[in-house]
Amino acid sequence: MLLAIDTSAGTSVAVVDLTQGVIAERGVADTMRHAEVVGRLIQECLTEAGIQVSELSGVVGGMGPGPFTGLRVGIAAARVFALGIDRPLVPVISHDAIAYGHYRTGHTGPLLVVTDARRREVYWSAYSGADAAGLPVRIGAPALAKPAELLEADFVHAGLPRLDAATISAGDLGMVAELGFAAGRPNVSDEALYLRSPDVTVSTTGPKRVS
Amino acid sequence: MTWQLRRATAADVDKIMALETSIFENDAWSTEMMTRDVTDPGCYYLVAFPPDSPEHIVGYAGLQAAQRSPESDIQTIAVVKEARGRGLGRVLMLSLLTEARKRGAREAFLEVRADNPGAQHLYRSLGFEDLGVRRGYYQPDNVDAIVMRLPIPPAEMQFTDAAAPIAALAQPAEPAAPSAASAEPAPAAPARPLNRSNPLVLGIETSCDETGIGIVRGTTLLSNTIASSMDEHARYGGVVPEVAARAHLEEMVPAIRAAVAEAGIRLDEIDAIAVTSGPGLAGALMVGVGAAKSLAIALDVPIYAVNHLVGHVGADLLRGEGVTTDAPLEYPTIALLVSGGHTSLLLVRDLVSDVELLGETIDDAAGEAFDKVARVLGLPYPGGPQIDRVAATGSPTAIRFPRGLSHQKDVAKHRYDFSFSGLKTSVARWVEQKRDAGETVPINDVAASFREAVVDVLLTKAVAACTDLGVPRLLLGGGVIANARLRQVAQERTDAAGIALRIPPLSLCTDNGAMIAALGAQLIMAGKAPSTLDFGADSTLPVSLIQA
Repeated sequence: MLLAIDTSAGTSVAVVDLTQGVIAERGVADTMRHAEVVGRLIQECLTEAGIQVSELSGVVGGMGPGPFTGLRVGIAAARVFALGIDRPLVPVISHDAIAYGHYRTGHTGPLLVVTDARRREVYWSAYSGADAAGLPVRIGAPALAKPAELLEADFVHAGLPRLDAATISAGDLGMVAELGFAAGRPNVSDEALYLRSPDVTVSTTGPKRVS
Repeated sequence: MTWQLRRATAADVDKIMALETSIFENDAWSTEMMTRDVTDPGCYYLVAFPPDSPEHIVGYAGLQAAQRSPESDIQTIAVVKEARGRGLGRVLMLSLLTEARKRGAREAFLEVRADNPGAQHLYRSLGFEDLGVRRGYYQPDNVDAIVMRLPIPPAEMQFTDAAAPIAALAQPAEPAAPSAASAEPAPAAPARPLNRSNPLVLGIETSCDETGIGIVRGTTLLSNTIASSMDEHARYGGVVPEVAARAHLEEMVPAIRAAVAEAGIRLDEIDAIAVTSGPGLAGALMVGVGAAKSLAIALDVPIYAVNHLVGHVGADLLRGEGVTTDAPLEYPTIALLVSGGHTSLLLVRDLVSDVELLGETIDDAAGEAFDKVARVLGLPYPGGPQIDRVAATGSPTAIRFPRGLSHQKDVAKHRYDFSFSGLKTSVARWVEQKRDAGETVPINDVAASFREAVVDVLLTKAVAACTDLGVPRLLLGGGVIANARLRQVAQERTDAAGIALRIPPLSLCTDNGAMIAALGAQLIMAGKAPSTLDFGADSTLPVSLIQA
């Protein structure tokens, strides 16, 4: 049984199990209140699942890509929860959860997952389809782009069926982790996928004059 | 070979300077600086000489330790080459430390060149511990300084020639039984009853650029782990919120692990989590808030969301290695909190129930002003230590920079408020005029005069608050308290006004998780209900909200 937390868009928390599927899932779509709601959602999921934290075998964290301020809250919560219960953290790319959910509900073949990166930019990941385990096969790594770039004829994944998603399901995120573990897949990196440098510029001119 | 020691006087300065300039080739002090220190009653300088030749000085060492100040600084120590390797350095150090203890210091600090392992070995053998590194502190050689600290043992213990053992300080008495639980609605009850008499609390602080994790048991400090992203901000000349927040995420788990290991506890022994919910940088605070809630649920313990500024006051309650005093914090007290993000004057009637904001900066924080003026002077970030360094050889009265909000007309409305933006502009304009005129900018004088303006206005207003409100107690907190001149003037002004001054150890003055844990423990011991899980990061949390 795994606790899954994703704050790459809104806030989503779930308790999942390989055989029982999604046992509990709670979400808040608001993209400005991650720190406020994440605790309550975790507690509600654990209560609804009727489990003790000691029954969890790991904690799944959605690594993004996601706009940075919110993304960090879920990753911090997942890492620290794993530390608190002395179980491993299982990092999962948030776009994989979106793709998994889409294939699970009937989509087949290639897919371009697109999410809002704010500042008039988007994050995208490309998939060729679902494998035998039901896991999405990512063929284009999560990346940042101007919306218009995805529409250009020379975009490397031009013409793929496109799915614009505004929410990420922690239930799907957790199931990607369960299925991946069962299929013996290696974990992805546990780095936060901001895909954008902090907004700072190094001053080369020294301090501005005041007179 | 034996030597005798005697206290140095102004008459010794020339001989001291002859050694100083030959031993510290590139970074020797000036004669004025040495004279000032040697003749300063707040300092204590010794010279060593052969018994048969009192004029032949072979070594000297200096201590700065204002009477009753909890902290002391080893200013300098030097021994001529011919006299080295025979224990004279150790004798000088032991004599200074004995004097520091006599004057009431509980800690001694020093800086040592990173490329001087011999000196480092001596200090470590005396019980000094490494506190941190100041990059490029020694200029022009660009050598790092290792900052070291010695908790000075209580008076009945003498320094011996062996490594000074540090006695465990007496445990504080059990706090009084908590008053009846408050009537606030109780959130979901934790699985086990909360230990309200001596709770083991883990505090998480992420309001700025320090990831602070502290663990306390009641008022006893068990660990104070700080991971700073300061170095990452240096090239930008100030704290970059996004850089700080990213660093918090990466440091959180390692810092918790380190704090737990240092405290010698297991995470599942923790009775409660405390976390800073504000004020501070929103994105930075959110990392701590998210982590703290998650940890509280994982450990099935209550959470206390607390006010960062009140936490700075709570730091004074901690007892453990390096404590300032065994005397309890008395109420009411005025608190002056000065850091890179805050400059606030508080009236604390009761730490857990009654804190009032008297005034705060209306523009830049004092620490920010130090950073900005350092930039104007071409000094690196963080500006505080840099300004302090060059100001040491400058005149604080060379240039009369403005004291913000100190005119009659301002005082009516902003009696306890601060403003440093105009001061910074004034310094910049003064420097520009000099440069435009093709004149050399006397950086040392500018730094000393600027620092004096900041320190003057801070202490004038703090002492005024004490006097106006009839509160004879002043507590200092915040990272700018590391400024030696600020502490010195604070001591002088409060002594003159009959005000008792309290300064927590510097490691508890800068942002840290231990002060947050300490405040959390106070709330628990006072019977306060935990916070619910719904609080957020509040970048402008008012100081009157002690618990969110």
